[in-house]
Amino acid sequence: MANRQSAGQPAPARGWDFEAAAMPFVDSLYNTAYRMTRNAEDAEDLVQETYLKAYRYYDKFSEGTNFKAWLFKILKNTFINSYRRRQQRPPQSDFAEIEDSFESQLSEEITGQIKSPEDELLENILDEDVQRALDTLPSDYRMAVILADLEGFSYKEIAEILELPVGTVMSRLYRGRKLLETAMLDYAREHGYIREREPAKMRSRPDAKGSPQAPAEYRRRAGS
Amino acid sequence: MNCTQVRRSLFFYADNEMGEELVIEVREHLVLCPGCAREYDHTVKLLTVLRRRCARASAPERLRRRILTSFPHRQGQA
Repeated sequence: MANRQSAGQPAPARGWDFEAAAMPFVDSLYNTAYRMTRNAEDAEDLVQETYLKAYRYYDKFSEGTNFKAWLFKILKNTFINSYRRRQQRPPQSDFAEIEDSFESQLSEEITGQIKSPEDELLENILDEDVQRALDTLPSDYRMAVILADLEGFSYKEIAEILELPVGTVMSRLYRGRKLLETAMLDYAREHGYIREREPAKMRSRPDAKGSPQAPAEYRRRAGS
Repeated sequence: MNCTQVRRSLFFYADNEMGEELVIEVREHLVLCPGCAREYDHTVKLLTVLRRRCARASAPERLRRRILTSFPHRQGQA
């Protein structure tokens, strides 16, 4: 067997550098891995594998580029190669259904229907319904939404991580968020905290935080 | 830009990811078109809910330990 230290293995000092640079991102990587694999055991394996690969390829990482985005790119590739084919949900038919309802919803929007019941519904939605809705997204859309809305990456960074043109990232975000909205509203209706023509009966959550603010304040920039 | 185009661009407008010229165009449209303005409020609400209400999972301590002990530069250390 060949010397395991020989190929692509950083020198010990470089190893400590890597550890100091990479470990601060373990929570972010795990959060994304958990949302993508939807179970803790696979998420842990995925993050572990990501760190081992990143360690091995650290010499190939070019200084001055975005290290966090580089780690996420490794996570994404590892997920696609090892985990995605094991993911069973959601079946193709569900996805088609969601897309259909998305299209009809969009045409309703364009005819200018008043959306206020949906707004109230969104304000009162349960945290676990947000997560459940996210879990139903097809993985390509889910990944784009997680990177933008949970991890705060810019479109350019997401394009780098996913190795896609920015235009494709934008269309995945658009579709992904619209699908997510439809799923969230469906869960909310299912849980009965919206009733048509009975808005007064809507329950309110003591911790609901729905007040609108300037969009710039939502944008959490990553890395930097 | 017509209403359809504006509505298709609201996520990108809310994300501050649009070119300056388009931003001006959308901003002006939103001032003049109450339907699209309402849609924009809804978009902002959706993004806020998504960003605030989705709980973050933290890496378990055993995973940190497992990663650290797998690093070759730590091997041979107690």
